[in-house]
Amino acid sequence: MALQYLASLSHYVPEAIMCLTMVFLIMVESSYDNNLKGSAKGMLYSTAYLGLLSVFVLLVAKIGNEPVTIFTGSLVIDPFSNIAKIVMVIGTAAAIYLSRVSKDIYEEVKAEYVILAVGILIGGLLLSSANNMLILYIGVETLSILSYVMASLKKNDERSSEAGLKYALYGGVTSGIMLFGMSHIFGVLGTIQFSEIYTGMSAITSSDALILMPAFLMFFAGIGYKIACVPFHMWSPDVYEGAPLPVTNFFSIVPKVAGIIVIVRVTNVFFAGSENILKESWIVLLMIISALTMTVGNVAAIGQRSVKRMLAYSSISHAGVMLLGVVVIGEIGNRAILFYAITYLFMTTVAFYVTSFVQDHYGNDHFERFNGLLKNHPLMAILMSIVMFSLAGLPPLSGFVAKFNILSAVISEKYYVLAAIAGFNSVISLYYYLKIVKNMIFRDSESEESVSLFDFKSQAIIAAFSIPVVVLGIFWEQVLVIANGAKLFIQ
Amino acid sequence: MISLSSYLIVSFALFLCGIVVIIARKNIIAMLLGMELILNAGALNFAAYTRFVNQNLDGHVMSLFIIIIAAAEAAVGLAIVIRFFQIKESIHIDDAVELQS
Repeated sequence: MALQYLASLSHYVPEAIMCLTMVFLIMVESSYDNNLKGSAKGMLYSTAYLGLLSVFVLLVAKIGNEPVTIFTGSLVIDPFSNIAKIVMVIGTAAAIYLSRVSKDIYEEVKAEYVILAVGILIGGLLLSSANNMLILYIGVETLSILSYVMASLKKNDERSSEAGLKYALYGGVTSGIMLFGMSHIFGVLGTIQFSEIYTGMSAITSSDALILMPAFLMFFAGIGYKIACVPFHMWSPDVYEGAPLPVTNFFSIVPKVAGIIVIVRVTNVFFAGSENILKESWIVLLMIISALTMTVGNVAAIGQRSVKRMLAYSSISHAGVMLLGVVVIGEIGNRAILFYAITYLFMTTVAFYVTSFVQDHYGNDHFERFNGLLKNHPLMAILMSIVMFSLAGLPPLSGFVAKFNILSAVISEKYYVLAAIAGFNSVISLYYYLKIVKNMIFRDSESEESVSLFDFKSQAIIAAFSIPVVVLGIFWEQVLVIANGAKLFIQ
Repeated sequence: MISLSSYLIVSFALFLCGIVVIIARKNIIAMLLGMELILNAGALNFAAYTRFVNQNLDGHVMSLFIIIIAAAEAAVGLAIVIRFFQIKESIHIDDAVELQS
């Protein structure tokens, strides 16, 4: 038994390194006084980056490995979750850099941001390889509880603490509802292991199905709230607006990707092996929710004045598009979701970076603040335009390829109505994405003097993050091959 | 002998009470209490199902973890409420209207 655990631990090195990094960060943070300066701060950030880098390297080295279940089957390390973990690690590293340069986070809580970000990443890693209801619940809660703290990071700001409060209340209630649903699933199927649920699902009677249907609905509420899909999305714009910008950037990548991955795993494991009424109703539920999520996100984004709030709604609609891929239960859908997550990471990061620097300079992030950016910072304005076109899904950028993959997966299953809804939504989203482009290129800036919004290092990083947005639009086959090799471990 | 269905009825009643408290009460502390009721309904269900349906330990372990995590969640929730109270001098949910567009 002990040997078996030791062997399991050898597959669990990335997560262990992340935990050690977090412990070390807490020790560094607490051993210096409030306003970290000079070497102490450098030490903190270098620890965080070192931990993230080693995890990244370990995960990249694992690409293509055979899936293994560890810790008596409660966790699964498969290629699918591996790619998702890489996305989350890059997203965290980018968010940590943004928090360092952003003025939206108080100097004395910058260290706390790093610690919380690493903690949420641990939750995300746990969640994406959960193969057991207990691990799923612990992962969701690790992700959530730290997120509440992170949302209210601006301690003396009314809006930030209100955002944290709303997040905590919504989150607590939905995770409670999820738990109640899970307890009934446990009662009917008699197990919390996904592998046993997989076999149990094919042998359920119709009276079991009657209990399981509302139970699965409740179960979905908990995960659906994490990715902010429509009936549970009310918290999302408020939290995204109230929280400081680097926090918003982080929230729109790591918890969202983790949530999508867990929905993919649950859908594929629970419903792949059986044809029954439960599977059909789950698919219908996902279809309705993804269509609603896309539409509501896009329509609500149109009227926004604040770019941050607009990006929050747009991230809701992107979650809807990713859910479309879940509807297609099978490899083709999973592959499209992974590709979408990779491109979404780069696009969102660049959009938030540029918004953050504009906001730091002008004090707010309304659309008018982008006026005349082309004259001041031609490169940044062009990169932002490229990212906006990509987010809207125009060829030849990566956003187009990602959307195309999802749509082709949906069409291969003959869900034409869903595909049409997704197409319409792409058109709607063009309106508000192009509003920024229009403001940057055709409007004159409010003041004549040329202001310097970005320093050289930040420009270089923004440029580096926008390269994949373009490159993945042209050379997408290689990445798709990797995503295709990243099979989900079913049982 | 108390049967499984009695446990399920009690836990469902707890769950409903929690939901009603969350919806009806405007006091944030009361809402946190409602949250705890919902979590405990889940924990009770797990314990009851383990006792009556399948005798493995999964449900008990789950209940223990729920208790621990609920405590953590309540701690963080209360900390945020205290911060909110220091800023707004109120724990009424209707005062949290800063972020509505």
